[in-house]
Amino acid sequence: MMDIARRVAHPHVVEPRHERTASENDLTVRLKHAEEEVRARDLNFQLIVESIPALVAVMTPTGEVEALNQPVLDYTGKSFEELTGWANSDVVHPDDLAPTIESLRKALESGDAYELESRHRRADGVYRWFHVRGFPLKDTDGRILRWCFLLADIDDRKRAEAQLAGEKRLLEMVASSCALTEVLTALCKFVEDTSADCHCGVYLIDWSAPKFRIGAVPSLPRTFNDPCEGLTVSLEVGPCGVAALTKTQVIVTDFESDPLFQSCAIRPLSLAHGFRSQWSTPIFARDGRVMGTFAIFQTSPASPTQVQQDLIAQVTHIASIAIERALSEAALKRSEAFLAEAQHLSRIGSFAWRVATNEITWSEELYRIFEFEPHVRVTLELIVARVHPEDLTLFHDMIERATSSASDFQYEHRLLMPDHSIKYLHQTAHGTRNEDGELEYIGAVQDVTNRRLSEEALGKARAELAHVTRVMSLGALTASIAHEVNQPLSGIITNASTCLRMLDADPPNVDGARETVRRTIRDGHRASDVMTRLRALFSRKDMATELVDLNEATREVITLALSELQRNRVIVKHTLADELPIVAGDRVQLQQVILNLLRNASDAMSSVDDRPRQLLIRTEPDADCGVRLSVQDAGVGFAPESINKLFDSFYTTKSDGMGIGLSVSRSIIENHQGRLWATSNDGPGATFSFSIPCVAEGVAGPGGVALTDQKPAARPS
Amino acid sequence: METRPLISVVDDDESVRESLPDLLKEFGFAAQVFSSAEEFLVSRYLKETKCLILDVAMPGLSGPDLQQELTRRRQEIPIVFITAHRDERVRPRLLEQGAVECLFKPFSETDLLEALNAALRVS
Repeated sequence: MMDIARRVAHPHVVEPRHERTASENDLTVRLKHAEEEVRARDLNFQLIVESIPALVAVMTPTGEVEALNQPVLDYTGKSFEELTGWANSDVVHPDDLAPTIESLRKALESGDAYELESRHRRADGVYRWFHVRGFPLKDTDGRILRWCFLLADIDDRKRAEAQLAGEKRLLEMVASSCALTEVLTALCKFVEDTSADCHCGVYLIDWSAPKFRIGAVPSLPRTFNDPCEGLTVSLEVGPCGVAALTKTQVIVTDFESDPLFQSCAIRPLSLAHGFRSQWSTPIFARDGRVMGTFAIFQTSPASPTQVQQDLIAQVTHIASIAIERALSEAALKRSEAFLAEAQHLSRIGSFAWRVATNEITWSEELYRIFEFEPHVRVTLELIVARVHPEDLTLFHDMIERATSSASDFQYEHRLLMPDHSIKYLHQTAHGTRNEDGELEYIGAVQDVTNRRLSEEALGKARAELAHVTRVMSLGALTASIAHEVNQPLSGIITNASTCLRMLDADPPNVDGARETVRRTIRDGHRASDVMTRLRALFSRKDMATELVDLNEATREVITLALSELQRNRVIVKHTLADELPIVAGDRVQLQQVILNLLRNASDAMSSVDDRPRQLLIRTEPDADCGVRLSVQDAGVGFAPESINKLFDSFYTTKSDGMGIGLSVSRSIIENHQGRLWATSNDGPGATFSFSIPCVAEGVAGPGGVALTDQKPAARPS
Repeated sequence: METRPLISVVDDDESVRESLPDLLKEFGFAAQVFSSAEEFLVSRYLKETKCLILDVAMPGLSGPDLQQELTRRRQEIPIVFITAHRDERVRPRLLEQGAVECLFKPFSETDLLEALNAALRVS
């Protein structure tokens, strides 16, 4: 132990050089002085060296290790002899060895003191950072006697510096709006670099699910990460779940032995990947909510040291800042985008107008609506130039009213743009008087062009649709009408031919001829009746309210449609209720609906061959003083899921259908304050029904229209 | 025993059933009328009928249905179809299935007579 001290104090170590050219006495006295001086100096030196907490090494002017203090031997765990060959050993960190040798070489050459930071191996194999200071010891003449080296352990400082630099880097990333994943990844890597042999993960929490989402897991394998993504945040899932829900750090020192996490979901996965310990720390938002967790996984059982705890506290704090910032930035972006979109979509501009001075202030959107160059000074004249000529009177009237008294106003007018397009504007303004009693308006202008155009287009489409339906009904009716007219015509011609032959006979068969003429007249009337019915069907164009006997209207439709139905081999039956209340409505429209339902029923049975194609029309009084008509078929029916679509325009199950009939029928019935619906039969097929309210007793229909005096319709056979 | 050829008329339309027999008798034929295919099938005149004037669209069995039924029963009666539906697509199909003629109502007596003569030549 005293070995080093003895070496340092050994007389031959410090050997003063002097020449014995003076007198004996002189020489003796001077030598004695010098020896005392040297002894005192050696003692002094020894005391200083041993009392320094640092590691001290002494070298000869040529760089040979001459002396080392005890802390050097203790730190390195090596002997003096071993350390004399330091340049060829692992005492200095391999990365620092070359610079160390080079610095020493230069210093020996120049004789100047120097400083250097390098890592040196401790007895347990760990390299720690040292601050090395080398300086020459000189005699009074300035000659170098020895080199002295002081090694101060600066490892803690270095570590703190590195940590600080890492934190600074991370905060810079947050501040410069790096992507969250990037920041969290850097954060994990930083911890992994600082604390050896560990893997880190940041898990974000979507509380709406609530589920874990992977924030960053730079060094964990996919086989571990994939099952973790989307895990439910629960106490059963594992340490992160508990940390998130209890808002406390959870330290699992060893999964194999920890009794609390024997059955958690993550345990088998962790053990399969060789992770024995897991430390999960909640990441808090400023308001105390848990936004995620920070987890450290290690392959050997471990619990965190104070240094590690400090590191964890630091990084979870940074993670919290990063996540919160990312969330608020995302929210801000969403709200900015929303605002811009809303301004653009609503097409609303605003203005202020001081009447006395004619000062007009416009919003940007209003410039866009009027298509004025930005920053142009807006004047009434400029505005008037844009107003559609046909609306100028209206506009001037508006200005006149507005200037005469403070009132709120609403106007709609058009603009005629330079490209001859037309814009529709809706203006609302509120008038007030300011402190000086001056009239001021604040208002909003909305560009309603699209709405107006689509309203017009919609109206047009409706009219077209109604026309199409009418034409389609007409097409279907034409066949029926031709049939109805051809029947009596056929009789007329046959009778007339017979009549001629009977009159031409010798002697003429006058009785027979008379009978044929009688039949001719009857058939003529039949044809005329068909025409009367047709006129009734097509003479009225708009909805006309009259009193309608639904039974009678139904019979007429059956008569007209019968031949077509028969051609489709449909057996028509009807049960029309006696004393059915009279309804108010448009007879033709209601008949169109009935015809539609009959055709629909017929079409639904066109593929039916294994059972009678039976169609039953029924009328009956409905609850609430209404009248109900239903058409029941034995057709293919409809799937329950399509019931809501049946009445949609253009929904059809027929290959040649347009799907307009039922939709228009429903709107007709709804115009009559009634409803139209479909039900599936117990047996095959479907039943379509409508009900409409009847006229209250004693109340005549609008216009007091009397029931048309209809002859009984031609008998269906 | 009736010596004049028997023409049977099957039509659900009353006007036809009333007017056509008189004309047929004027032509010199015997005539019987039936309001449905079913009625004709059970009638005793079925076997005597030399020509059938048959409406196409009728409730229950239609004209073409009756034609098929007769073919099935090997009752080869020449058929002249009459129809109030001027559907040009129907005619060739009916002729293809063995009908002698298909007349659209209203038809002239000349057309009818020609069709009947053609039918009787077949039989």
